[in-house]
Amino acid sequence: MERFEYPNDREAVNAARARALEALLIEKGVITSDTVDKIMSIFATEMGPFNGAKLVARAWVDPAFKNLLAEDTMAAVEEMGFATKGAGAEGEHMRAAINTPGVHNLIICTLCSCYPWPVLGLPPYWYKDPSFRARAAREPRKVLGEFGLNIDPGKEIKTWDSSAQIRWFVVPERPAGTDGFSEEQLAALVTPEAMMGVAIVKPPGI
Amino acid sequence: MQTNFEHFALGSMLGKPDMPPKDNGSLCFGAPWQRQAFGMALALSKQGVFEWDDFRSELISVIAAWEVTHDKSDPSWDYYEIWLTVLETMVERCGLTGATETL
Repeated sequence: MERFEYPNDREAVNAARARALEALLIEKGVITSDTVDKIMSIFATEMGPFNGAKLVARAWVDPAFKNLLAEDTMAAVEEMGFATKGAGAEGEHMRAAINTPGVHNLIICTLCSCYPWPVLGLPPYWYKDPSFRARAAREPRKVLGEFGLNIDPGKEIKTWDSSAQIRWFVVPERPAGTDGFSEEQLAALVTPEAMMGVAIVKPPGI
Repeated sequence: MQTNFEHFALGSMLGKPDMPPKDNGSLCFGAPWQRQAFGMALALSKQGVFEWDDFRSELISVIAAWEVTHDKSDPSWDYYEIWLTVLETMVERCGLTGATETL
Protein backbone atom coordinates (compact mmCIF):
# COMPACT_ATOMS: atom_id res chain seq x y z
CA MET A 1 0.00 0.00 0.00
CA GLU A 2 1.21 3.46 -0.81
CA ARG A 3 2.30 5.64 2.02
CA PHE A 4 -0.75 7.90 2.09
CA GLU A 5 -3.43 5.70 0.65
CA TYR A 6 -6.46 5.23 2.83
CA PRO A 7 -8.82 2.36 3.40
CA ASN A 8 -12.55 3.07 3.34
CA ASP A 9 -13.01 2.19 6.96
CA ARG A 10 -10.25 4.57 7.94
CA GLU A 11 -11.66 5.61 11.31
CA ALA A 12 -12.23 2.03 12.39
CA VAL A 13 -8.74 1.07 11.26
CA ASN A 14 -7.18 3.94 13.19
CA ALA A 15 -9.17 3.10 16.29
CA ALA A 16 -8.03 -0.51 16.02
CA ARG A 17 -4.40 0.56 15.57
CA ALA A 18 -4.53 2.77 18.64
CA ARG A 19 -6.17 -0.01 20.65
CA ALA A 20 -3.60 -2.54 19.50
CA LEU A 21 -0.74 -0.24 20.37
CA GLU A 22 -2.10 0.48 23.81
CA ALA A 23 -2.68 -3.22 24.43
CA LEU A 24 0.90 -3.97 23.41
CA LEU A 25 2.33 -1.28 25.68
CA ILE A 26 0.24 -2.53 28.58
CA GLU A 27 1.33 -6.10 27.93
CA LYS A 28 4.97 -5.04 27.90
CA GLY A 29 4.43 -3.23 31.18
CA VAL A 30 5.33 0.17 29.74
CA ILE A 31 2.00 1.75 30.62
CA THR A 32 -1.10 0.70 32.48
CA SER A 33 -4.71 0.91 31.46
CA ASP A 34 -5.21 4.25 33.18
CA THR A 35 -2.02 5.96 31.94
CA VAL A 36 -3.73 7.79 29.09
CA ASP A 37 -6.60 8.96 31.28
CA LYS A 38 -4.18 10.19 33.91
CA ILE A 39 -2.08 12.23 31.55
CA MET A 40 -5.11 13.56 29.72
CA SER A 41 -6.82 14.66 32.91
CA ILE A 42 -4.14 17.34 33.16
CA PHE A 43 -5.43 18.85 29.96
CA ALA A 44 -9.05 18.47 30.97
CA THR A 45 -8.81 19.96 34.43
CA GLU A 46 -5.56 21.81 34.92
CA MET A 47 -4.70 23.49 31.68
CA GLY A 48 -7.60 25.27 30.26
CA PRO A 49 -9.36 28.50 29.56
CA PHE A 50 -12.26 27.21 31.64
CA ASN A 51 -10.23 28.07 34.75
CA GLY A 52 -9.65 31.63 33.66
CA ALA A 53 -13.27 31.98 32.61
CA LYS A 54 -14.37 30.98 36.12
CA LEU A 55 -12.08 33.60 37.65
CA VAL A 56 -13.45 36.28 35.37
CA ALA A 57 -17.08 35.34 36.03
CA ARG A 58 -16.51 35.40 39.78
CA ALA A 59 -14.86 38.81 39.51
CA TRP A 60 -17.90 40.10 37.61
CA VAL A 61 -20.38 39.06 40.28
CA ASP A 62 -18.24 39.68 43.37
CA PRO A 63 -16.50 43.06 43.69
CA ALA A 64 -14.47 41.89 46.70
CA PHE A 65 -13.15 38.99 44.66
CA LYS A 66 -12.31 41.34 41.82
CA ASN A 67 -10.28 43.48 44.21
CA LEU A 68 -8.50 40.45 45.53
CA LEU A 69 -7.78 39.31 41.99
CA ALA A 70 -6.18 42.67 41.27
CA GLU A 71 -4.29 42.96 44.56
CA ASP A 72 -3.27 39.38 45.22
CA THR A 73 -4.04 37.26 42.20
CA MET A 74 -2.63 34.06 43.62
CA ALA A 75 -4.79 34.32 46.74
CA ALA A 76 -7.84 34.73 44.53
CA VAL A 77 -6.82 31.78 42.38
CA GLU A 78 -6.26 29.77 45.52
CA GLU A 79 -9.80 30.53 46.65
CA MET A 80 -11.14 28.90 43.51
CA GLY A 81 -9.42 25.65 44.41
CA PHE A 82 -8.05 24.83 40.97
CA ALA A 83 -5.93 21.76 40.59
CA THR A 84 -2.96 23.93 39.64
CA LYS A 85 -2.60 25.71 42.94
CA GLY A 86 0.30 24.90 45.17
CA ALA A 87 3.99 25.52 45.40
CA GLY A 88 5.99 25.14 42.25
CA ALA A 89 3.06 24.86 39.93
CA GLU A 90 3.24 26.54 36.58
CA GLY A 91 1.27 29.73 36.80
CA GLU A 92 2.28 30.29 40.37
CA HIS A 93 3.00 33.93 39.78
CA MET A 94 -0.03 34.88 37.80
CA ARG A 95 -1.25 38.43 37.84
CA ALA A 96 -4.55 39.77 36.62
CA ALA A 97 -4.79 42.99 34.60
CA ILE A 98 -8.31 44.31 35.02
CA ASN A 99 -10.01 46.08 32.15
CA THR A 100 -11.98 49.20 33.09
CA PRO A 101 -13.97 51.77 31.13
CA GLY A 102 -10.75 53.77 30.83
CA VAL A 103 -8.12 51.06 30.32
CA HIS A 104 -7.81 48.10 27.99
CA ASN A 105 -5.10 45.57 28.81
CA LEU A 106 -3.17 43.37 26.42
CA ILE A 107 -0.74 40.63 27.37
CA ILE A 108 2.25 39.47 25.40
CA CYS A 109 5.18 37.28 26.29
CA THR A 110 8.52 36.47 24.86
CA LEU A 111 8.65 32.79 25.75
CA CYS A 112 5.78 30.40 25.61
CA SER A 113 6.95 29.16 28.98
CA CYS A 114 5.56 32.29 30.56
CA TYR A 115 2.11 31.93 29.09
CA PRO A 116 -0.39 31.36 31.91
CA TRP A 117 -1.54 27.93 30.76
CA PRO A 118 -3.51 27.12 33.87
CA VAL A 119 -5.99 29.88 33.20
CA LEU A 120 -5.75 30.37 29.46
CA GLY A 121 -5.16 26.90 28.08
CA LEU A 122 -3.26 26.57 24.83
CA PRO A 123 -2.24 29.81 23.21
CA PRO A 124 -3.14 30.46 19.60
CA TYR A 125 -0.41 29.89 17.04
CA TRP A 126 0.24 33.57 16.41
CA TYR A 127 0.94 34.26 20.05
CA LYS A 128 4.49 33.01 19.82
CA ASP A 129 5.14 34.89 16.63
CA PRO A 130 7.94 37.43 17.21
CA SER A 131 6.38 40.03 14.96
CA PHE A 132 3.11 39.88 16.89
CA ARG A 133 4.93 40.47 20.14
CA ALA A 134 7.11 43.24 18.83
CA ARG A 135 4.23 45.05 17.16
CA ALA A 136 1.85 44.55 20.09
CA ALA A 137 4.39 46.28 22.31
CA ARG A 138 5.03 49.11 19.85
CA GLU A 139 1.63 49.79 18.32
CA PRO A 140 -1.00 47.90 20.32
CA ARG A 141 -3.91 49.95 19.01
CA LYS A 142 -3.09 49.09 15.43
CA VAL A 143 -2.50 45.41 16.18
CA LEU A 144 -5.81 45.17 18.03
CA GLY A 145 -7.49 46.85 15.08
CA GLU A 146 -6.18 44.05 12.89
CA PHE A 147 -7.86 41.63 15.27
CA GLY A 148 -11.09 43.47 14.62
CA LEU A 149 -10.97 45.13 17.99
CA ASN A 150 -11.17 48.89 17.67
CA ILE A 151 -10.48 50.44 21.02
CA ASP A 152 -12.04 53.82 21.68
CA PRO A 153 -9.35 56.49 21.09
CA GLY A 154 -10.08 57.89 24.53
CA LYS A 155 -9.21 54.59 26.17
CA GLU A 156 -5.69 53.85 27.28
CA ILE A 157 -4.13 50.56 26.16
CA LYS A 158 -1.67 48.96 28.54
CA THR A 159 0.58 46.16 27.35
CA TRP A 160 1.89 43.67 29.88
CA ASP A 161 4.89 41.54 29.04
CA SER A 162 4.78 38.23 30.84
CA SER A 163 8.00 36.79 32.14
CA ALA A 164 9.11 33.73 33.99
CA GLN A 165 8.31 35.67 37.16
CA ILE A 166 4.92 37.10 36.33
CA ARG A 167 2.37 35.64 33.98
CA TRP A 168 -0.35 38.10 33.11
CA PHE A 169 -3.92 37.51 32.08
CA VAL A 170 -6.67 40.00 31.40
CA VAL A 171 -9.98 40.30 33.21
CA PRO A 172 -12.24 41.67 30.49
CA GLU A 173 -15.23 43.90 31.16
CA ARG A 174 -18.58 42.33 31.76
CA PRO A 175 -20.73 42.71 28.67
CA ALA A 176 -24.10 44.44 28.67
CA GLY A 177 -27.22 42.34 28.66
CA THR A 178 -26.01 39.87 31.26
CA ASP A 179 -27.95 41.07 34.30
CA GLY A 180 -29.07 38.16 36.40
CA PHE A 181 -26.71 35.72 34.69
CA SER A 182 -25.25 32.99 36.89
CA GLU A 183 -21.49 32.65 37.22
CA GLU A 184 -21.67 29.59 35.05
CA GLN A 185 -23.57 31.41 32.31
CA LEU A 186 -21.10 34.28 32.50
CA ALA A 187 -18.07 31.98 32.37
CA ALA A 188 -19.40 30.46 29.15
CA LEU A 189 -19.08 33.87 27.47
CA VAL A 190 -15.38 34.33 28.28
CA THR A 191 -12.90 33.36 25.58
CA PRO A 192 -9.13 32.86 25.83
CA GLU A 193 -8.72 35.75 23.39
CA ALA A 194 -10.63 38.05 25.75
CA MET A 195 -8.31 36.99 28.58
CA MET A 196 -5.32 37.84 26.39
CA GLY A 197 -6.79 41.22 25.60
CA VAL A 198 -7.10 40.71 21.84
CA ALA A 199 -10.88 40.53 22.09
CA ILE A 200 -13.65 41.73 24.36
CA VAL A 201 -16.42 39.59 25.74
CA LYS A 202 -19.43 40.01 23.51
CA PRO A 203 -22.94 40.28 24.86
CA PRO A 204 -24.83 36.99 24.65
CA GLY A 205 -26.35 36.16 21.31
CA ILE A 206 -23.99 38.34 19.28
CA MET B 1 8.95 21.20 40.71
CA GLN B 2 5.71 20.40 39.07
CA THR B 3 6.74 21.97 35.78
CA ASN B 4 5.62 19.99 33.97
CA PHE B 5 6.32 17.81 31.06
CA GLU B 6 2.90 18.48 29.59
CA HIS B 7 3.53 22.20 29.41
CA PHE B 8 6.96 21.70 27.96
CA ALA B 9 5.71 19.22 25.38
CA LEU B 10 2.96 21.43 24.03
CA GLY B 11 4.96 24.60 24.42
CA SER B 12 7.63 23.24 22.16
CA MET B 13 5.05 22.64 19.40
CA LEU B 14 3.48 26.02 19.61
CA GLY B 15 3.44 27.76 16.27
CA LYS B 16 5.26 24.85 14.64
CA PRO B 17 3.92 22.67 11.84
CA ASP B 18 3.27 19.80 14.21
CA MET B 19 1.02 21.76 16.60
CA PRO B 20 -2.10 19.71 17.31
CA PRO B 21 -5.51 21.10 16.40
CA LYS B 22 -7.06 23.33 19.02
CA ASP B 23 -10.42 24.80 19.69
CA ASN B 24 -10.91 27.81 21.93
CA GLY B 25 -7.74 27.21 23.90
CA SER B 26 -8.20 23.49 24.40
CA LEU B 27 -6.98 20.47 22.54
CA CYS B 28 -9.70 19.02 20.39
CA PHE B 29 -10.06 15.40 19.47
CA GLY B 30 -12.38 14.14 16.79
CA ALA B 31 -12.49 10.61 18.16
CA PRO B 32 -11.40 8.68 21.25
CA TRP B 33 -8.53 7.00 19.36
CA GLN B 34 -7.01 10.43 18.72
CA ARG B 35 -6.96 11.23 22.40
CA GLN B 36 -5.58 7.77 23.09
CA ALA B 37 -2.77 8.24 20.58
CA PHE B 38 -1.97 11.70 21.90
CA GLY B 39 -1.91 10.53 25.51
CA MET B 40 0.27 7.50 24.77
CA ALA B 41 2.90 9.58 23.00
CA LEU B 42 3.09 12.02 25.88
CA ALA B 43 3.21 9.24 28.45
CA LEU B 44 5.98 7.33 26.66
CA SER B 45 8.11 10.40 26.27
CA LYS B 46 7.47 11.47 29.84
CA GLN B 47 8.72 8.06 30.92
CA GLY B 48 11.80 8.40 28.76
CA VAL B 49 10.94 5.67 26.28
CA PHE B 50 11.83 8.17 23.58
CA GLU B 51 12.80 11.81 23.51
CA TRP B 52 10.03 14.27 22.80
CA ASP B 53 12.27 15.99 20.26
CA ASP B 54 12.80 12.75 18.41
CA PHE B 55 9.09 12.10 18.29
CA ARG B 56 8.54 15.62 17.02
CA SER B 57 11.16 15.49 14.30
CA GLU B 58 9.62 12.29 13.00
CA LEU B 59 6.18 13.91 13.17
CA ILE B 60 7.37 17.02 11.36
CA SER B 61 9.06 15.00 8.65
CA VAL B 62 5.98 12.83 8.01
CA ILE B 63 3.79 15.93 7.90
CA ALA B 64 6.25 17.45 5.42
CA ALA B 65 6.14 14.29 3.32
CA TRP B 66 2.34 14.48 3.26
CA GLU B 67 2.41 18.11 2.22
CA VAL B 68 4.74 17.40 -0.69
CA THR B 69 2.20 15.03 -2.21
CA HIS B 70 -1.05 16.75 -1.19
CA ASP B 71 -2.73 20.06 -1.45
CA LYS B 72 -3.01 21.86 1.87
CA SER B 73 -6.77 21.82 1.64
CA ASP B 74 -6.95 18.10 0.83
CA PRO B 75 -9.81 16.76 2.97
CA SER B 76 -7.99 13.50 3.51
CA TRP B 77 -5.64 15.33 5.92
CA ASP B 78 -5.83 13.71 9.32
CA TYR B 79 -3.38 15.09 11.86
CA TYR B 80 -3.88 12.34 14.40
CA GLU B 81 -3.58 9.58 11.85
CA ILE B 82 -0.10 10.85 11.09
CA TRP B 83 0.50 11.17 14.82
CA LEU B 84 -0.50 7.53 15.30
CA THR B 85 1.75 6.36 12.48
CA VAL B 86 4.69 8.23 13.98
CA LEU B 87 3.94 6.80 17.39
CA GLU B 88 3.96 3.27 15.96
CA THR B 89 7.27 4.01 14.28
CA MET B 90 8.81 5.31 17.48
CA VAL B 91 7.58 2.37 19.53
CA GLU B 92 8.98 -0.01 16.97
CA ARG B 93 12.30 1.81 16.89
CA CYS B 94 12.55 1.46 20.63
CA GLY B 95 12.32 -2.28 20.21
CA LEU B 96 9.01 -2.57 22.01
CA THR B 97 7.33 -4.36 19.17
CA GLY B 98 8.18 -7.24 16.87
CA ALA B 99 7.96 -6.99 13.10
CA THR B 100 4.92 -9.26 13.12
CA GLU B 101 2.93 -6.70 15.04
CA THR B 102 3.14 -3.93 12.50
CA LEU B 103 0.01 -3.39 10.47
